[in-house]
Amino acid sequence: MESYAQFAWLIPLFPLIAFLVLLAAGRQWKEAGAYVGIVATLASFIVALLVFVERLGDGAENYTWNGLEWLKLGDYSLAMGYEINNLNALMLLVVSLVSLLVNLYSKGYMQGDERISVFFSYVALFTFAMLGVVMSENILQLYIFWELVGLGSFLLIGFWYFKPEAKAAAKKAFVMTRIGDVGLFLGILLLFWHMPGHALDFTSIHNAFAEGKISGGTATWIALLIFVGAVGKSGQFPLHTWLPDAMEGPTPISALIHAATMVAAGVYLVARTFDIFQASPAALDTVAYIGGFTAIFAATIGVAQNDIKRVLAYSTVSQLGYMMLALGVSATISAGMFHLFTHAFFKALLFLAAGSVIHAVHTQDIQQMGGLSAKMKITTWTFAIGALALSGIPPFSGFWSKDAILSEAYNSGHYGLFAVGLIAAFFTAFYMSRLFFLVFTGKPRGEHHAHAHESPAVMTVPLVILAVLAVVAGFVMTPFNGWFGDWLTGHAAEEHGSGLVMLLSTVVGLLGIGLGYVMYVKGSFSPETIPNGAPWLHQLVYRKYYIDELYAAVIVKPVKAIGNVLTLFDRYVVDGVVRLCAGVVQSLGRVGTRMQSGQVQTYGLVMLLGLVVLMLAFVGRRFWNVW
Amino acid sequence: MTDTILPYLTLGAILFCIGLYSALTKKNAVIVLLSIELMLNAVNLNLVAFSKFGVVPSLQGQIFSLFNITVAASEVAVGIAILIALYRNRGTSNVDDMNELRK
Amino acid sequence: MLGNIADFFSSGTNVMFFLFALFAIGGAIFMISFTKVVSMVVAVAVTFLSLAGLYVLLNAEFLATVQVLIYAGAVSILMIFGIMMTRHQGEEPETKRPWFTSLLWVGILGVFGILFYAFQNVTFPQTQRRPPEDSTMEIGKLLFNEHVIPFELMSILLTVAFIGAIVLAKREGE
Repeated sequence: MESYAQFAWLIPLFPLIAFLVLLAAGRQWKEAGAYVGIVATLASFIVALLVFVERLGDGAENYTWNGLEWLKLGDYSLAMGYEINNLNALMLLVVSLVSLLVNLYSKGYMQGDERISVFFSYVALFTFAMLGVVMSENILQLYIFWELVGLGSFLLIGFWYFKPEAKAAAKKAFVMTRIGDVGLFLGILLLFWHMPGHALDFTSIHNAFAEGKISGGTATWIALLIFVGAVGKSGQFPLHTWLPDAMEGPTPISALIHAATMVAAGVYLVARTFDIFQASPAALDTVAYIGGFTAIFAATIGVAQNDIKRVLAYSTVSQLGYMMLALGVSATISAGMFHLFTHAFFKALLFLAAGSVIHAVHTQDIQQMGGLSAKMKITTWTFAIGALALSGIPPFSGFWSKDAILSEAYNSGHYGLFAVGLIAAFFTAFYMSRLFFLVFTGKPRGEHHAHAHESPAVMTVPLVILAVLAVVAGFVMTPFNGWFGDWLTGHAAEEHGSGLVMLLSTVVGLLGIGLGYVMYVKGSFSPETIPNGAPWLHQLVYRKYYIDELYAAVIVKPVKAIGNVLTLFDRYVVDGVVRLCAGVVQSLGRVGTRMQSGQVQTYGLVMLLGLVVLMLAFVGRRFWNVW
Repeated sequence: MTDTILPYLTLGAILFCIGLYSALTKKNAVIVLLSIELMLNAVNLNLVAFSKFGVVPSLQGQIFSLFNITVAASEVAVGIAILIALYRNRGTSNVDDMNELRK
Repeated sequence: MLGNIADFFSSGTNVMFFLFALFAIGGAIFMISFTKVVSMVVAVAVTFLSLAGLYVLLNAEFLATVQVLIYAGAVSILMIFGIMMTRHQGEEPETKRPWFTSLLWVGILGVFGILFYAFQNVTFPQTQRRPPEDSTMEIGKLLFNEHVIPFELMSILLTVAFIGAIVLAKREGE
């Protein structure tokens, strides 16, 4: 029987077709465009599920198809194609499932928007690009789809383009990820230069680095440059400021792009090229430390934010830091990928639930919300499940994945990072509980509470599905049964199930929730203590450590100044030369005009001068022997 | 000195150049015609000088300059007639105002 | 140098040539520099007359007479008639045209320079013709024997010219 992997090229094809169809006919179809998107992603999901199930069986070989010869320079040729291995199959499943749920949800959320078909076409384009990234067979093809993903993100963040903040956020996202992409491209170039035979496909990369053909400084440079690309796309420090601003886009795409898929692409890239990182311990350490720093940095900012989406955005940045931390301290990719897997579900769940809340009360300010649990039961319960998963409370999935990360950090001797991870887990639990209690419990504070109601079924069904996944997805890899890690990496991993770590992470999570409960429900410890007592601290954290202002002053202003100088150069020098040419021709013309004055004496003068020239020519003959 | 041709030729050249200058500079059309006459006279002087001192001295030069005088006279007569007709049409005899050649 | 000048003025022909040349060039220069138009014509007439004198020095007596009759007589009077008929202020207006004037000077000096250069480098044999006693008769003989056809053509030309002049200058509608 042929393997389903042969048909894997269908998976990105369906969203591409949906994109083209919606591009052409979307304007007339309006609301019906949603069905095109839903059907296409459903088809992709089914094929992805088949491929994944097939991969679950033992003895399934990696399937590669690279039949399309794309670039041929002399005797070097680069092919385009796709590859299916365990890592890919997992990502395909996650991406197509989340995309399907988001498409379904958006039908309800974007109801009434007149550009709804455009929205679905962009989502289809984005899904196509993301699936392409996941399935790429060589790193250059991955880069192409990577850029396309960035484009999809730009289009979707700036979907409501008439809002200036949305435009600015889209630009910011695109430019910042572009900075990362430059690093990635430089890494690809270095790789091209040093790889034997200039091969760029992942199999060759795996072979070259695993056998140690490229090592030392070169491997470090390549790994670090690739990591720069991951930093940009995954919103690690210092290229993280675009992610919270990207919340200007519609909430479903915050769920799709900035929770489950695009930001995970950075983690996926590091996992895919993990052999390069393993060849360079320095790069691995860099990844771990940047990841750890980002985790705690973003968690502290999230504590002080008042916009429900921004809290979740900083939470995403923090969790991505955890994933990078995991990849940096482990010997395999299993811990990081496991957290990516569970995070996709519970973060998407949280965003979609937040979208449900926003849809009901038409505001994003949590200080204006409160007491919504009475009106929106399903949303409340699913949000609670997502929050518990994120906070790392057993037996939810987040607990198992966070535990895996912390165990890896502890067991590999990175005690400092372990401590950082624990503190960040405390802050995570705290801000999630703060969010939950402020939004769903207590007395209603805003004016919209009166007509808030539960969202339609098309929006709550995805919430329920994701909530179920958020509960059960964690059981694939526990310290008692490390099946996930073994399957993913192809060899049995040494799993040290450390009871101490499990205990510590649970205690820290409960502490965080407890503090939130005490502050916001009981009120015994007023939330105004720190803002009143140490206003500078609150201001610092609330203003995101002034990083945006720093970038604006240090980078944006000088670049704009250079742009102004170049504009002047262009206007006066380049344009000046053009105007000079025109001016010269014009003055020559004017001279000619004056010669044609119609006056006989002028003509006589010209004739005289011509005669003089002729006479000189004849007389000069005897001197120059030229004639 | 005057038994060579050089002074006569030089004098002819000077008169010719003066006539040329005035033909191209003056504003009154009659004066322009007059300067043309001056130029023709310089040519005549040249011819007569060559008839006496030239390579083959003969009377041909003088015959030629006779014809030259004739042609010059008829030309100036017709020129003045044209000028008078033009003056009647335009009301001006200023050379600068006669710039129809421009179109 | 004074010796040279004294030598120059010792011969009569030289003196006469010098005087006639002076008057000719003087007349021409005055023609340019006068402002009144009629004065210009008078100056030119002086030039014509001195040229007639030069012709006499060159043994072209017939031509000298013709010169006086035609140029100093008819042509100058014709010019004055022309001035009278075109009835303007009688003055020549001054206009400043720097470009034109400078280029003109360049051209004139160029022409004169080339001519002068050519004259310096020419050498003619010093053969002198024995002047005929009656150049008039000789001219007449040549005119009616060898150059009779151009002579007849000249008469046709003159006829055409004066008919044309009459037609052109006729007042219309009379």
